[in-house]
Amino acid sequence: MINLYTGIAPARDLLLTHRLCEKLNGKSFLHINSTREGGGVSEILQRMIPLLKGLGIDARWEVITGDRKFFDITKKIHNGLQGNPEDITEDMWKYHYEINVANAKRLDFNADAVLIHDPQPAPLVEFRKNGIWMWRCHIDVSNPTPGIWDGIKKYVKNYDNSVFSVAKFSRTLPIDEVFIPPSIDPLSEKNRELTEHEIQDVMNGFSIPVDKPIILQVSRFDRFKDPVGVITAYRMVKKYSDCRLILAGSPATDDPEGELVLNEVKEAAGNDPDIHILLLPVFSDKKINALQRAATVVLQKSLKEGFGLTVSEAMWKEKPVIGGAVGGIPLQIVNGVTGFLVYSIDGAAFRIRQFLNNPDMAVRMGQKAKEYVKNNFLITRQIRDYLAVWYAMENRGKGVIEL
Amino acid sequence: MGRKVEPFEFKQAVNILKSSREKANCLGTLRHMISRVSDESIFHHTCQYFLKEHSLGYTNDFAQWAGESLEERALAERLSNIDPYSFKSISGTRKELLRVIGEYTRDFPAPRCALSGDEFYFNETITLVFPVGVKVKNLVEFFIALQHIDAGSIHFHFYEARVRLGKGVDDFSRWFREALNRKALAKNIGTIDPFMHNIDGIREHIKEMIEDDLKAEMEGLRQ
Repeated sequence: MINLYTGIAPARDLLLTHRLCEKLNGKSFLHINSTREGGGVSEILQRMIPLLKGLGIDARWEVITGDRKFFDITKKIHNGLQGNPEDITEDMWKYHYEINVANAKRLDFNADAVLIHDPQPAPLVEFRKNGIWMWRCHIDVSNPTPGIWDGIKKYVKNYDNSVFSVAKFSRTLPIDEVFIPPSIDPLSEKNRELTEHEIQDVMNGFSIPVDKPIILQVSRFDRFKDPVGVITAYRMVKKYSDCRLILAGSPATDDPEGELVLNEVKEAAGNDPDIHILLLPVFSDKKINALQRAATVVLQKSLKEGFGLTVSEAMWKEKPVIGGAVGGIPLQIVNGVTGFLVYSIDGAAFRIRQFLNNPDMAVRMGQKAKEYVKNNFLITRQIRDYLAVWYAMENRGKGVIEL
Repeated sequence: MGRKVEPFEFKQAVNILKSSREKANCLGTLRHMISRVSDESIFHHTCQYFLKEHSLGYTNDFAQWAGESLEERALAERLSNIDPYSFKSISGTRKELLRVIGEYTRDFPAPRCALSGDEFYFNETITLVFPVGVKVKNLVEFFIALQHIDAGSIHFHFYEARVRLGKGVDDFSRWFREALNRKALAKNIGTIDPFMHNIDGIREHIKEMIEDDLKAEMEGLRQ
């Protein structure tokens, strides 16, 4: 299966992955997160697990379960870790732990390497049996609400190491911290090549004419993604250039706030016929692919961001991208080279106008963007890195490992 | 019968970033941390700079941070002029970094601190070295391989080798001199300024020099 990436992904990533799999052949690799649908983590795992299996690794993916109360608490923890003022009471922490205890009784932790994704299942480490346990943090915890990081850190320090997407997300821990950016899959339904006919079909399905430039933001309806700010920026652009705005997002089972924010966005959009708000069901990957390919300019104007995989998705499609300079977005957008970084709504509006008025520059940046994603943000590189960290943990103490 | 030529095996290094657990938000802290972080961290922020894909405004991460985050352009220029390959060990590079920053802080008022989120994070790497499956036995084979070899392989042999071998010499020059007895070509490769090109630029320069060497040989001009 990995051979399908030959000629698409850099040869070095495939070569090293094969060499690592020779060393780790037959060993087991367990991933645990909190949702099977929605969000970047589950998208990557859906693709990564079969690829690992095809490489001879006994890979498994388990999902913790919980009730509404649990996911309300973990959403608050998630927001608090990203700096939103939240009050997590002792009872809430206790409930968070209890649900993890219940999951621990149900799940089989027997594996050579275990990768726990994000804060929701972090307490599972208390029930570790064997193998190397790694905690993978996908969110920006650089400036958390006081006290909330401590509530998670007490579990994290019991892992063998931690994995953050970007160096600046890391916090002081008594365990090793490595940095592995997430990735996109160029062969997935969301990123594969589409014909003009397929793209047009999707646009017809949404009744969105392609009669004028399209500004697009694809993200959950979440305040940290600033969808209302995007509408304001669009209105500033509209004074100079006629265009459409599409805000498209999928719900996630672990995000109870989504509906509230969606209503705020609808109110901000009013009756503007050129603003299209699309609430896409999960597994709308082909539709998102078509929307990104139909777009003239793609935005990810986040105020806080874990990594912002939609940036790499659009860059892979050679689109000019404008992103908020937060979280992992500056890692993807080299300002002025592979897109533009912005710090305000005014900045977003200004850069949209620049792209709309300089189509040659937009094409040039789009081409560089695709090459940059190829070298840095494809799933093959992420698989390589996970295996490399696992292998390095098995050879701890060596700074240079010869294969 | 000619002597047996030791083949050149292309290898590549892939690095996984690892935190050195220190960060700095102002020049004083940066200098203090440079004095105490591991050799691996200093190596990463100087010798591995060219593995990162950014514009070539600077030659190491310290200069980049001083220029972009502290907006201290003069310090960035001075730091960019430090050649880590001119020292026999990382401790030489470390001392030079400390000297340059120390002199700057004596000569100029203290710069502002970096904004939150823009601090300097000290990192190091876990390095995995592996052969890429290409061995060459002569200059023509080398030339063909060089056109297709990954940029990371060129970095490993052209940049990292200078520190790995501890002699400031890249693997390519060494092989040309020792295995192929092409001293003039080795000398020419040694004149390429490692700080003034990205890796594809280095690739092009080496290709041109090999072409010139082969052309000279065919024309019977090579000494």
